[in-house]
Amino acid sequence: MKVIVADDSRVMRQIVIRTLRQAGYDWWEIEEAEDGADALAKIRATAPDFVLSDWNMPNMTGIDLLRALRAEGNETPFAFVTSEGSPQMREQADEAGALFLIAKPFTADIFRETIDPFIG
Amino acid sequence: MTATVDWAPVLDADPLLQITQDLFATMIDDEPGYVSHWEGERPELEDARHTWVDVADEQIVRVVIGTGRETGEAITRALLRMAPGEEVTDEDFVDAVGEVANVVCGNVKSLVTHPGTLTIPVVADAPPPLGDGERLVDACLSWRGAPLTVSLWVLP
Repeated sequence: MKVIVADDSRVMRQIVIRTLRQAGYDWWEIEEAEDGADALAKIRATAPDFVLSDWNMPNMTGIDLLRALRAEGNETPFAFVTSEGSPQMREQADEAGALFLIAKPFTADIFRETIDPFIG
Repeated sequence: MTATVDWAPVLDADPLLQITQDLFATMIDDEPGYVSHWEGERPELEDARHTWVDVADEQIVRVVIGTGRETGEAITRALLRMAPGEEVTDEDFVDAVGEVANVVCGNVKSLVTHPGTLTIPVVADAPPPLGDGERLVDACLSWRGAPLTVSLWVLP
C-alpha cells in the first residue's frame, strides 16, 4: 500500500509517520511531500493508494490539493491531519471529498480508530 | 474585538494550559503530567526564543510561545526522539517549536471558531511586534520545571 504524507514541517512528517507505525500501519510504503504542490506532483507520478495531508502549507494548501485532484478526476482516498479541527473545517473537508480529518495533537489510538474504518 | 468571534472559550489561562497539556502529553512526553501552571514569581526566560503563529483576518490573532533556547532544544529532541544532549540544528529547532505554536494556535482558532487562516510559524530571538495589540491571555507554564509562556493577542 503506497501512501503519501504531506506536511511542510519535516518534524511533523516524522511524527505522523512514527504515529502511523505505532498505530500498526508499519507495512505501508510511505513517501513524504513537503507541500501541496509537491504532493500533487508525486500523486500524479506514483498513483498512491492513500494521501494524508496537512491543511496549511505554502505553495498549495491541503484543501486546494484535494480540490485539484478531484477536479482532474483523481479519486485517490484523501484525509487531513491538521492543527485545526473546527466543525467548519471538517465540513469543508467533507464537501471537498476527504474521508476524515484528524486534529493535532493526536495519538496512535486516534489514528487507528479513525483510519481503520476507511483504510483497513 | 470582532463581533463574529466569541473569545469567551479562551479568556483565561486554563484553555491554553489544557491545549498545551494535551499537546505535550500526546506528542512530546507520551504521557500526561509534565505541564502545569508556573508556581511563584514569573521567571525570566534564559536565552529566550519567541515563536508565533497568526490567524490572519480583518483582525490578527497571534499566539506567542516563549521558551529558553535550552528548553526549546529539549522540546525538539523529544519531538524527534533524539538522544539526550544530541545536538539540535537551527533548522530542526525552528521546525519543532514552530509546530508547537502551530498546534496551539490551531486549537485556539477551533475554540473561538475564527474565520481566518493560520500563518506559517515565525521563530525569533526577540518578541514579535505587537503594537497596539490587546493581550487576551498571558500564561506562564512549567514543563518539567522549565518556564514556557503562552500568550494570546488580538492585533488591530
